[in-house]
Order: sequence, then C-alpha cells, then structure tokens
Amino acid sequence: MKNRLRELRAARRWSQADLADRCAVSRQAINAIETGRYDPSLPLAFALARVFGLTIEEIFEPDPT
Amino acid sequence: MSDNARQDKVTRAARRAVLVEGTPVLVLGGAALMLGSTPDASPSQQVGWLVATALFVAAVVWVVYRAFGRADEYQRKVQLESMAVGFAAVLVGLQVAVALDAADVVPLPRLAQSLVVGGIAIWLVVADLRTRLQR
Repeated sequence: MKNRLRELRAARRWSQADLADRCAVSRQAINAIETGRYDPSLPLAFALARVFGLTIEEIFEPDPT
Repeated sequence: MSDNARQDKVTRAARRAVLVEGTPVLVLGGAALMLGSTPDASPSQQVGWLVATALFVAAVVWVVYRAFGRADEYQRKVQLESMAVGFAAVLVGLQVAVALDAADVVPLPRLAQSLVVGGIAIWLVVADLRTRLQR
C-alpha cells in the first residue's frame, strides 16, 4: 500500500516523533509506515487521517496490481 | 532535546526495561538448566528444579505481558514475528534432539530445556536487532 504520510508530515513541518505523539504510537511505527514496511491497522489509519484532517483514501492508496 | 531524540530515549528506556526484567529470567533459565542436567537427582534437587522451572516460566510470561503492554501495534508485530522465529528454531531443534535421543547420543530431557532457553534467546535477539536496525 502506498501512502502520502511523509509528504503530508513535511508540509506541516512535523517530525516523525511529532506525528507519533499525536497518534499515540512509536516513532518506529511511523517510520515503518512511511517506508512501506508496515501497513497500519484500520484504527491507526483512522487516527492518522484524523490528525491530518483527511480521509483514509486521501492518505493511503492500494498498490496497482 | 528534539522530539526524535526524546522518542528514541523512550524506546531505549523500554528496551532497558526488557533487559532489566529479562536478565533475572535468563538467570532462572540457567539455574533450571543446571539443576535439571543432573541425571541422578535427589528428591530435593528435583524439587529445586521444579521450583526454578516454574519461576522461570512465570517470569517469561510476566516479561512478555509487560513488553506487549508497552508496545504499539507495529512493535507487537515485530515481537510476534521474532517469537515465530524463536519458535521455529525450537521446533527444528526438537526434531534434531529427538533424532539424537533415538540414536542414544544425548537424552532428550537434557536437551529440551536448553532448546526452550535457546529459543527465547533467539526471540529476544531477533526482536532487539529488528528494533535497533529499523529506524
């Protein structure tokens, strides 16, 4: 799954730690999501969407298969 | 202190907590291993082995429970995958141990506990390396 997390975070000048604090997860989790090593659970995807004020579909999109 | 540095400090503190709790577990595992390796154990040695093993198992459960309680969903995934690697190692080791036992090379009971302690060690090392290397 692809995502725009890094781009959205950079636009707000947030560090990975900032975003991690806002979503109540570890910085490693944010890093793993940004680099595509980990697909978040639905609750975490909703939390990320809420933090950015967007919908899940605006942040995540499935890989073209 | 930057946010990243603060978060890394939190991660290091969590890792240190696992080490602080995990060291007595490894000591108990070693003690249980030594007590159980005597083939002609006296009743008191057998009781000591049973107590050390029971404490070891309880301590492992406690450390796992605490570590999972502190972890977020990504860290739990890393922990579970590391446990799977350790468990696979124990399964393969058990197959080898059974073969060695059948060939009368080493008795299975003597190897069984080493395999469990080794599996836990592999699990902890894999989990630690994965959290250390994947930043």
